[in-house]
Amino acid sequence: MNTRSQLLCAWSGFVFTVVFTIGFWLVANFVPPPSPNASAADIAAIYQQNTWQIRLGMFLMMGCSGLISPFIAAISLQMKRMEGSPSILTYTQLSSGSIGVVFLILPSLIWTAAAFRPERSADLILLLNDLGWIVLLMPFTSFVVQNFAIGFAILSDKSVAPVFPRWVGFFTLWVAILFVPGGLLTFFKKGPFAWDGLFAFWIPLVIFLTWYLVMFVFLRKGIIEQARAA
Amino acid sequence: MAASTDAPPGARTHLPGEPGVWVFILGDMLMFAAFFVVFVYYRRQDVPLFVHSQSTLNQHFGAINTLLMLTSSWFVALAIHSARAHVAKLCSRFFVLAFLCGLGFVVIKFFEYREKIHAGIMLTTNDFYMYYYMFTGLHLMHVLIGMGVLTYLTSIARGGDFQAKNLNVLESGASFWHMVDILWIVLFALLYLMK
Repeated sequence: MNTRSQLLCAWSGFVFTVVFTIGFWLVANFVPPPSPNASAADIAAIYQQNTWQIRLGMFLMMGCSGLISPFIAAISLQMKRMEGSPSILTYTQLSSGSIGVVFLILPSLIWTAAAFRPERSADLILLLNDLGWIVLLMPFTSFVVQNFAIGFAILSDKSVAPVFPRWVGFFTLWVAILFVPGGLLTFFKKGPFAWDGLFAFWIPLVIFLTWYLVMFVFLRKGIIEQARAA
Repeated sequence: MAASTDAPPGARTHLPGEPGVWVFILGDMLMFAAFFVVFVYYRRQDVPLFVHSQSTLNQHFGAINTLLMLTSSWFVALAIHSARAHVAKLCSRFFVLAFLCGLGFVVIKFFEYREKIHAGIMLTTNDFYMYYYMFTGLHLMHVLIGMGVLTYLTSIARGGDFQAKNLNVLESGASFWHMVDILWIVLFALLYLMK
C-alpha cells in the first residue's frame, strides 16, 4: 500500500478546507450571505462593487473543490479496512461523495456568471444570485447519504483496533442531520431557516468545515497506523 | 466500555450505552437547545402573534402524543430491565410496544398536520407556524430514525444474547429513544403550552 499517496490524498482535504475558506469567505466576501429578502438593486450592487473579488473568490472555490475527490478516495480506502468485503458502504460513500463535489463547483460557476457581466439587468443578477445560493445550500441529499455511509462503516468496525474511534462515527451521523434544515430554505426569505439564517447557513457551514478537519485528522492517523501494522 | 455495563443498574457512576453515542445525543440536544433559544427570542418580538397562533393548535393531539412518548419511554426502560434479567421474550416484546407507540405518534402527527393544512395553515403562514412545522417536522424525523433503532434493538433482543457487548448496544439505542422523548416534552411545553 502506498502510504505516501494516501497521505497526499488526505492532505488534499485539508488544503480544500483552507482554500475554500479563503476564496468563499475572505476574498468573495460571501460570509455572511446576502439576505434572500434583499432587493434586486441591492444584490446587483454587490456584484457591481465586488466584481473582481467575486471573480477571484469563485476561481479559488472552484479550483479547490476538485481536491475533495482524492480526499473521498482516501476515506474509501480506510472504510474498506473497516468493512472488509463486500464493501458496499465504501462504494456508497465514493459515489455520493463524488456527486457532492458538483454542488460546490456549480455555485461557484453560477456566481461567476453573475460577476461576468455585472452591468446586466438587476433582475438577472438576482436570479443568478438566488440560483447560486440554492445550489450550494439546499442539496443535502448526497451529503447525508455519504455521512451515513461513513458513520455506519465506522460503527460496524469490529476489529480489536478500530480504524476510527467510534465517537467519530456518531459525530459523522450527527453532522448528517444538521445538513437537513438547509434543504428547507426554499420556503423562507428571512429568519433562522432562510439561506442566511442560523440553521440553513451558519451551523451547516461551521459543521461542514469542522467535519472536514476531524476527518482529516483521523484519516491521517488511520493511514499511519495502517503503514505501521503492515 | 464493557466494565461500565457490568456496573449494577442504578449505580451512580453508570453511563448507559457506549460513550460515543453521547456525542450524538448531546450534539442533537444542543441543536434543539438552539431551536428553543431562537424560538423564545423571536417570540418576545411578537408575543400576541405567538399567543394567538398557539391557541389554534390542537392540544388534544399534542397531549396524546406526549402520553405516547412517555409510555414508549417506559416500555424501553422495561425492555432494558428485562435485558439485564436476560429475559429475551419480554425484552423484545417491550421494544415492539415502544415501536408501536412511536408509530401511533407518527399517525397522530399526520392527522394533526392534515387538520392544519386543511385550515389553510402552512409553513409560511407566520413565524409561529414556521417554528411549529420546522421543529415538529425535524423531531418527527428523529422519531422515524428512532423507530429504525428500535427495530434493530428488537432483532438483537430476539437473538437472546445479553452479553455485556449487546447490552451496551441496547442501552445506547434506548438512550437515543429517551432523548427523542425528552425533546418532544420540551417542544410540547414550548409550542402548545407556554403562556
